[in-house]
Amino acid sequence: MDIKQQFVMREVAGEYLLIPVGKTSLDLNGMITLNELGAEIWKMLPEVKDEAEIVQRILADYDIDEATATADVAEFLGHIRELSIII
Amino acid sequence: METKISRYLHAKGKRLGLPINGTFELTPRCNFNCKMCYVHLTESEQQKRGRELTADQWIKIGEDAIKAGTVFLLLTGGEPTLRPDFLEIFRTLKAMGLIVSINSNGMLLQGELFHALCEDPPSRINITLYGITNETYEKQCGLPAYDRVITNIKNLREAGIEVKVNMSVTPDNSDDLQAVYDKAKELGAHVQSTPYMFPPIRLHPELCGQNFRLPADEAGCMMAEHEFANSTEDQLKRRYDALDKGILLPSDRDEECLEEAEGEAMHCRGGVTTFWLDWDGKMAPCGQMSEPAFDVLKLGFNEAWQRTRAAAAAIRLPAECSVCPIKNICHPCAAMCYCETGNFNKKPEYVCKMRQSYIGRMQELRDERFGGR
Repeated sequence: MDIKQQFVMREVAGEYLLIPVGKTSLDLNGMITLNELGAEIWKMLPEVKDEAEIVQRILADYDIDEATATADVAEFLGHIRELSIII
Repeated sequence: METKISRYLHAKGKRLGLPINGTFELTPRCNFNCKMCYVHLTESEQQKRGRELTADQWIKIGEDAIKAGTVFLLLTGGEPTLRPDFLEIFRTLKAMGLIVSINSNGMLLQGELFHALCEDPPSRINITLYGITNETYEKQCGLPAYDRVITNIKNLREAGIEVKVNMSVTPDNSDDLQAVYDKAKELGAHVQSTPYMFPPIRLHPELCGQNFRLPADEAGCMMAEHEFANSTEDQLKRRYDALDKGILLPSDRDEECLEEAEGEAMHCRGGVTTFWLDWDGKMAPCGQMSEPAFDVLKLGFNEAWQRTRAAAAAIRLPAECSVCPIKNICHPCAAMCYCETGNFNKKPEYVCKMRQSYIGRMQELRDERFGGR
């Protein structure tokens, strides 16, 4: 999945931070905090083709049922879609 | 105002001993020549005192700071944009994942530099406005720069870049203060003013307790009057409610170095979650202090930070102030004590008088507007 804006992900004091770089910081002046699952999804975004693939990868790595994983992934993607980070 | 996530990171960083916020003082040189400045050196004076770090050195220190947990970075001077490699330093540090803000007098924020900042903006540019006319600027800074600076601020705002206007109030420009507030409002920029000028002991140890500044009682009255004139009814109510409880609300203090009071220990963030690196690579808890300071080039970032933390933790403020009924309004910081008296544990009389006068004037203004309590 294509990330439309530029961010650097950092882990500071146990928190996952998405820090805007380049011109992205004009639209998003500040930072986005992610939970652990959000950080995992963020890392896989450039490698996956769609939402279903993210859910499959999460199911492989976490002890979680498919309905919960699907809902969590949709919620996360919804948030970053609202911020125009993905289409 | 500080964001919630910044407060949270500072709170967590404090527990873990992380340098969440840092300042790189890229140069002591400046194209202005303000009488009250604590850092400005001419090029020849600077060369006599030491060597400015190179862009590569700043970038390497930035990498080490990121590994140690730094998130927020302020680039300052002198005038940092005087360095021909300023953009290289700024862009590289930002691209590594730091949230970078810039302190500037605004004079050079045009042309190529302006366009580059529009393409890759800082989180905020703090510009000090020294007055509202070219004449005041000439008197205050030695250059009739007002028209140029205000045009540059306007262009930055139109480009969507956040600008905060700071005003350092001195005997040369105090008449312009209200007009500066009005102008900043018109430009959509937050404004913070202070008549408190730290004695410039980093440059001139013999000027301990002195600076080109208003008398303490005038400074306190001025703070009260401008706060009163530029606050909404709601803001005033909150401020007075807090003052009645012996507390000064945070917006009146320096937002970058604020930390909750902690008994008699330093209650700012200096050396707790914040560090200052001066232009030749010495780390201190804050930029007003000439000591304690630790050489990052010799010690490495981590060791300099650990020593800065330990030195700041050992600082004790005046016992006299710790039992004062207005201690949570006055908040004398370690740097104030040191710059005013040469010691961390002596009461800074100027600050004390300024705050007493501030409280008295705030009470008078309340009585005038709302009648007696």
